[in-house]
Amino acid sequence: MDFSFPKEHQLFRRMVREFAENEVKPLAKAVDREHRVPLETVKKAAALGLMGVPFPQKYGGMGGGEMGYCIMMEELGRICTSTATVIGAHTGIAAMSIYLDGTEEQKQKFLTPLASGRLIGAFGLTEAQAGSDAAAIKTTAVRDGNHFVLNGAKVFITNGDIAGIMTVMAVTDPSLGAYGGITAFVVETDTPGFSIGSLENKMGIRGSSTAECVFQDVRVPKENVLGQFGAGFLTFMKSLDIGRASLGAACLGGAQAAMEGCMEWTMAREQFGVPVATKQSVYFMIADMAAEIEALRSLIYRTAWLIDTHQPHIKEAAICKLYGSEVASRCIHKAVQIHGALGYSRDYWVERAYRDARISEIFEGTNEIQRIVLASNLFRPYGLRIPS
Amino acid sequence: MKIIVLIKQILDPAGILVRRDKEKMFINREEYILGPDSKAALEATLRLKDAGGAEVIALSMGRPRAEDALREALALGGDAAYLLSDEAFDAADIPVTANVLAAAVQKLGGADLVVAGRESGDTSAGQIGSRVAEALNYAQVTDVHVLTGEPGAIRATRRWGGGYATVQAMLPAVVTVAREAFPARYAHGARIMNAYREWQVTTWNAADLGLDEAALKPLLAFRGESFPPPLPVGEQVKGAPASAAHELITALKLQKVIG
Repeated sequence: MDFSFPKEHQLFRRMVREFAENEVKPLAKAVDREHRVPLETVKKAAALGLMGVPFPQKYGGMGGGEMGYCIMMEELGRICTSTATVIGAHTGIAAMSIYLDGTEEQKQKFLTPLASGRLIGAFGLTEAQAGSDAAAIKTTAVRDGNHFVLNGAKVFITNGDIAGIMTVMAVTDPSLGAYGGITAFVVETDTPGFSIGSLENKMGIRGSSTAECVFQDVRVPKENVLGQFGAGFLTFMKSLDIGRASLGAACLGGAQAAMEGCMEWTMAREQFGVPVATKQSVYFMIADMAAEIEALRSLIYRTAWLIDTHQPHIKEAAICKLYGSEVASRCIHKAVQIHGALGYSRDYWVERAYRDARISEIFEGTNEIQRIVLASNLFRPYGLRIPS
Repeated sequence: MKIIVLIKQILDPAGILVRRDKEKMFINREEYILGPDSKAALEATLRLKDAGGAEVIALSMGRPRAEDALREALALGGDAAYLLSDEAFDAADIPVTANVLAAAVQKLGGADLVVAGRESGDTSAGQIGSRVAEALNYAQVTDVHVLTGEPGAIRATRRWGGGYATVQAMLPAVVTVAREAFPARYAHGARIMNAYREWQVTTWNAADLGLDEAALKPLLAFRGESFPPPLPVGEQVKGAPASAAHELITALKLQKVIG
């Protein structure tokens, strides 16, 4: 077993860390306050290949694989969860769904502009009545000659209002259900009939946009069917499976930042005449953070390796998301405690990190859904089916 | 224009803890990086390449691990990379290092321009550029803050007394650049991947360069190391921010630190 990172990935991490520290960090507080997407950062990231890290270079990607992608997400998560969310939804699920199930032609046409960052991607799954129960979607796609006509509305779509390309899941045969009755489509958002409804006013990740996307007689050419006709649910689930590893990586970065911030603060902050880092009640909390972070790091990069070497990874990726988001939340919860009143102040980064962390237990499959995925995979070999 | 950039891999200073009370340096994290002055030299060169086109060759003398610094140079935009590595170089002092680098420049067929950092990020001798220029009999401009290419020449703005002077040097020339004047770009991620997977670093040893034992004999002998005396604490300006700032600026102007 060799647990060392390849040298190109080590150098890549240094580059991304510098990028995050110098370009992302100065905006992190402002984009949260102003509730705006840092598009200027997205542009800079695109110029460095950061909008297509896992994809092959022949599709405009960076060629960094899932490992490279997790490294970037960890480094971005360490500095700004909003920026990680914008780039993560674009790369990890939107572009990923085209990379996984797109035809060669679709990859050239849609993945290339996404991976090179010329266009931003969004992943259109969630609907008002279909969150955890993803197969309950109501958006329909009806064949009309060489086109499909889409009608319906997607909600809570990250990047929805800034996306040029959106992958969308729609019902093509209500009688067939999730497997057979749902098809995935690539929708160019300048297609007539596509519009943005309301934008969410969120608790955290306020430097990312979350939009309602409305489809009113949106005509999509039949060439834009993504994957097998009727197998869209599988395409979307596969994309989410992979996306969970990198989401966990962003959580790893958030947890790491919390620990680093606590160490810095507790070495400088003196109470009772000594740095508070020397108090057992404080350093025990930091030691607990370190233990969980190290376990998470091993989990994330082993899962990335499973994905890059084309091995089964569904269970591990679900654990990355489940454990990662909970480790991040626990670490940041402790960070608020350690920083005391300062940690509760809106002027300090800890408060933002606390709000930002909460979403990771919810989006891209709630942690309860992850437990279902996990239990299903555990019991399936014994012939026991876990109902959703 | 053919430009050879001299670069150096250094121990990352961020991984070093200095304990003045114990007169000791502790290495917490042994990681080697492309030195910031070398990065500035590369940046100055790549700007010339962006402006008028150039072939950029990165050259480094070092241990085999210095290959990583050369690959980083390729990732940043270099076209070729050469590592000068030999156990016989281990005892090299500054004059020997300059001779080895000059021999490699000659083996590469010379250059229109050789660019180096003003000093290295570790030993900070600040002599390599000048010594290489002397060995090659090239013109030299040191401590350069602005650098542009002209037909058959370069125009450089360098520190001069309390201000700056702009000079022209006919090619071939050596310039050393100021770290603060050329903040480095980020390498494109795909170039980082390709720097390790696709591109090569050529390694030359002493024999390849035709250097014998006499050419590698150091002039300096290492006698030990000690900490410099602590710097005296300067004058402190106190008071309300506005008045303190005014007082500070006045003091700096009087001492001609700022104009």
